[in-house]
Amino acid sequence: MRFYLQKIAFYVVALWAAVTLNFLIPRLMPGNPVDIMISKMAAAGQPITAGTRHALAIELGGSSGSILQQYGDYIVNLLHGNLGISLTNYPEQVTTVIGQALPWTIALVGLATVISFILGIGLGMLAGWKRGSWLDNLIPVTTMFQAVPYFWLALILVLVLTRVVPIFPFAGGYDVTSTTPGFSLSFIGSAIYYGFLPALTIVISSIGGWMLGMRNMMVSTLSEDYIVTAEAKGLNPRRVRMTYAARNAVLPSLSGFAISLGFVVAGSIVTEQVFSYPGIGQLLFTAVSNDDYALMQGVFLVISLSVLAANLVVDVLYGLIDPRTRARS
Amino acid sequence: MDTSIAVTNKAGDKPTRVRRESSLSRLLPSRSAKLIVGLIIAGVIILWGIVGPLLVGDPHAISTDAFAPPGPNHWLGTTQTGQDVWTQVAYGTRGSLIIGFVVGILATVLSAFFGVLGAYIGGAVDEGFALFTNVALVIPGLPLVIVIGNYVPQNQRGLFLIAVVLAITSWAGSARVLRSVTLSLRNRDYVSASRVSGEKTWRVLVVEILPNLIPVMASQFVFAIIFAILGEAGLSFLGLGASNTFTLGTILFQAYNDLALTQGAWWWFVPPGLVIALFGCALSLINFSIDEIINPKLRNQTRAARKAWGLTAEQIKRLEKEDVK
Amino acid sequence: MSPRSTRRRLGVALVAVAAAATLALSGCSSNSTSTSSSGTTSITMFTGQVGNFTENFNPLNNTGAYLPQTNGAIYEPLFYYNKARAGKPVPLLGTSYSWNSDGTQLTVKVRQGVKWSNGKPETADDVVYSLNLISNNAALNTSGVKWVAKKTADDTVVITFPTTSFTLEPQVLGNEPIVPESIWKKISDPTKVTNTEPVGTGPYMLKSFTPQSYVLEKNPHYWGTGASAPKVDQVRTISLANADAATSALQAGKTDYMGAFLPTLKNIMAKNKNLSYSNSPQATTALFTCENAALGCTGPQTDVAVRQAMYYAMDRTQLDKQAAAGFSAPASPSLVLNTVNKAQITSPKYMEVPQKANVAKAKKLLEADGWKLGSNGYYAKDGQELDLSINVVSGWTDYDTICQLLQGQFKAAGIKLTVNQMAQNAWTQSESTGKFQMSMNSVNMGVSSDPYFQYNNYLSTSATAPVGQPAKSTNTSRYSNPSVDAAIKKLATTNDDSVKQAAYKTIQDQIVKDMPYVPVYVNSALAEYNNTRATGWPTQSNQYAFPLPWGGNWGMGIVLKTIRPVK
Repeated sequence: MRFYLQKIAFYVVALWAAVTLNFLIPRLMPGNPVDIMISKMAAAGQPITAGTRHALAIELGGSSGSILQQYGDYIVNLLHGNLGISLTNYPEQVTTVIGQALPWTIALVGLATVISFILGIGLGMLAGWKRGSWLDNLIPVTTMFQAVPYFWLALILVLVLTRVVPIFPFAGGYDVTSTTPGFSLSFIGSAIYYGFLPALTIVISSIGGWMLGMRNMMVSTLSEDYIVTAEAKGLNPRRVRMTYAARNAVLPSLSGFAISLGFVVAGSIVTEQVFSYPGIGQLLFTAVSNDDYALMQGVFLVISLSVLAANLVVDVLYGLIDPRTRARS
Repeated sequence: MDTSIAVTNKAGDKPTRVRRESSLSRLLPSRSAKLIVGLIIAGVIILWGIVGPLLVGDPHAISTDAFAPPGPNHWLGTTQTGQDVWTQVAYGTRGSLIIGFVVGILATVLSAFFGVLGAYIGGAVDEGFALFTNVALVIPGLPLVIVIGNYVPQNQRGLFLIAVVLAITSWAGSARVLRSVTLSLRNRDYVSASRVSGEKTWRVLVVEILPNLIPVMASQFVFAIIFAILGEAGLSFLGLGASNTFTLGTILFQAYNDLALTQGAWWWFVPPGLVIALFGCALSLINFSIDEIINPKLRNQTRAARKAWGLTAEQIKRLEKEDVK
Repeated sequence: MSPRSTRRRLGVALVAVAAAATLALSGCSSNSTSTSSSGTTSITMFTGQVGNFTENFNPLNNTGAYLPQTNGAIYEPLFYYNKARAGKPVPLLGTSYSWNSDGTQLTVKVRQGVKWSNGKPETADDVVYSLNLISNNAALNTSGVKWVAKKTADDTVVITFPTTSFTLEPQVLGNEPIVPESIWKKISDPTKVTNTEPVGTGPYMLKSFTPQSYVLEKNPHYWGTGASAPKVDQVRTISLANADAATSALQAGKTDYMGAFLPTLKNIMAKNKNLSYSNSPQATTALFTCENAALGCTGPQTDVAVRQAMYYAMDRTQLDKQAAAGFSAPASPSLVLNTVNKAQITSPKYMEVPQKANVAKAKKLLEADGWKLGSNGYYAKDGQELDLSINVVSGWTDYDTICQLLQGQFKAAGIKLTVNQMAQNAWTQSESTGKFQMSMNSVNMGVSSDPYFQYNNYLSTSATAPVGQPAKSTNTSRYSNPSVDAAIKKLATTNDDSVKQAAYKTIQDQIVKDMPYVPVYVNSALAEYNNTRATGWPTQSNQYAFPLPWGGNWGMGIVLKTIRPVK
């Protein structure tokens, strides 16, 4: 019980720190929304007079009061689920804007992460079981893909698979001309079709790590005494492989998996840039390039929370699965 | 398993050959093709990064020869402004390597400090350090990059700044690993024994624990280098990279922005990525070998390796059968 | 469709991803060509929007967050001021207008028989309501001048200004949307609504919206007939992440109308016969110099000889070829366009900047001012090297390239140039507060092609501020010259062409001498079209409207109602 209380206290502090930093960071940044809006309006040929600055300052509002007061307002708003108004999408609420983008990111990057993990673990298990096999020798090749810049690989795949051999669409989340979002076969099919190539690039570039990790753990586990005992007892090899070896070998990968799930939101930014995918990564990019503090904070908050949540899950699971972590002198 | 091989080995001279090897080479996995290939590729690229910029001209030099394909004048063709890609890649390699190594060193030092020290001392210090590590782990790196990037005067914002930022955002993961390894080490019997025998704390840490951490730290160091070079490329791709300097990432950013891909100027886009890929692969191969040091069970026991141990074909067959089971 | 149900459905949808992928692949590739069903004609636009669309059709919003077609396609002003060519404004909801002699009263004849897209009649009362709504709301009134509109007859509206306000004409008549009183009077704060069911008088109205794409359809009640009635049934808008994706979309025939700078445009056009483009150069790219030492600027660029030397040291032919892909047009040292503003350029000498570098002249100018060429190839004066820094936004590739090229060109004239690539925010901030030596930017046209707006925004003392404070408008060079200020004031208070011409001459003589902005070239503004589904797009020779599909460009509405479907 004390273990869990400790952990909970720990996460409360970590959450507070993340939220507070989230508050401070945009406030430390230079630039102000009025200037940026004026330069944008000038570029679009809008009239700029001395009155413009005044009008914009009124319309955009802006931070007032001491920093402590602002911090208080921020925490109160946060507790009410009020993340403020997005400047780039004025006057839309940040929560609405994030709500629109988040499902796409979770569906694409989240699923790709899951697929990559399951495939990687499965193949890694087999490679560790049959050392020196062709599959085992394939591992350095798949690890190679991890050492390649993701966007570079993705862009080359896009070039080949959407232009040279046009099999896949090059941009978007679904075919906007033929279907609308909804629970229809055409939409689901379209979403899968449009998500296939981005998902493929994510899987290709991340599967190597899972394979290698699982393979190495499998190899280590196989030389443990209890495996030898199991084999000596003449148990079915499949049973030894799955129930005795793989189950123990997968533990460290599981913790890695939980953390990588937490980074789904953060990791989506480059993917979505390459594929014009309508998710949260593009949102963050837009927010950063437009000095949209509220939107930036909102996205960071989602990222921080998901990472923290994933960590919490790991800790709790580990406490359950592996008693050694709990008992520390 | 190793002992059983020595026992079944009938040729008496072979074990003596093994015994003759120095302690260092015994530490390294013997005749690992991976290690050799990795070291060669990495060595060539590092050498190229050091020497290359001295051999080529000014990477900024502009000519009217825009988007020229590879040829005798321009080995890797030219950019949109007629700059020589080969020259830029030479400077870019140097820039990326500097970032990689600076980040590697900084991140390793930071992670060792927060991971090892905290875990060894234990108690409130450990709790504090672990808290700090976890907070650092959940802070999105991107805003930090932007804030710092905006704060530093423009003319000083170069490689080192990006390197520092990447290091700050990348040490926490390995600190966690080091902490857990240290935690398990400090509870080992031999550590307890040396403590009971009255060894000083710092001596236990430096003499008993640290040597066992070196392979893990080396692996983390190599990983940090890969991370940094890839991270820098990713940041550059988003337009947040080092300014006024060449790195492989900034070259890729330029190429992408000037639509090198859609214009068919592959010679501008492919080579920088390929250098990163090759270097990353080489480091991965080295990391494989380090893993095999950390965990001897991982050492290669393929057919070729076993032949090299002087096993007969029958013995190999028998061993493989055991493995397959 | 609420986002929540989308998410749930997506979750269900994508669980089957691995298994169904191949199935869907074969199933979808067959219907991927988007031919419109049941005879409706449709085109697709890309407006430069990245990521999800936010449903916002509030035409009054200054922050530009409304979707770009709001102003022009859905809502209309009284007149359209075409910035792409010289000429009289095009009547829309107004039919004619006249000023009183001292410029305080503007009488507008309002078009009769116009209906809102919901079928209700639009009247002079709506015009009065809309104009007063803006005037009375400090957050909407960007001009800072409070006017009063009054209906004097069923077809006449008189707008009264507190002072002489000739220059407000394009703002009031050409840049204020007319909205229905019956709907907007119920809205308590017009700056904070998203107006998701827009009712306007424009040629198009909203049909459907999703965050990834929205569709406009022909307004059946539109007042225009024949050539000025909309002919294409539907206009769809999509979002793409970057120029790379935009290029692909154009080549694949996925967009019919977009505005993006594509360096390879000529190649793309050569390969695809159905594509066409128009170029409406409008903004003069220039080296903005922080030139006024009296207001706190520091650095060699405060010396007028240095600015003049840079003016002559530039090889603009190379800049056009390598930075602008040959799409730029020659600039005028008067800072207005030598195309649409030709009549307002007061001397043939001011028509065009020199296209070739004149290094000898640049050096002579510097030496006459006391600069001495040092052994390292750079000039120096009083022990200070001629070392200038220029700020440029990293990622604005054409500007980045100009700076790179200038480094080499200036070196030949003994001027050292350091390029600071920086993030846009930091760049904006440095320029606005005057903490820069030089900055790569462009002098933009105002609300119409009247040179007054450029001169007032970029040259008048009232548009600037001392270094350290944000410039009140876009005069970031901190230029301040009493005779220019007086001439600008004269421009604002007269409607007499000969008086204006004299004022132009004063201003142009001064700025060509002082060179606060060193002109490079007139930047391209490229719009690309696909003629497969619709024709009648603007061409190089017929720019009946400024075509770039940006928010705030009313010309987009004119383009959309002019094009016709291909039978």
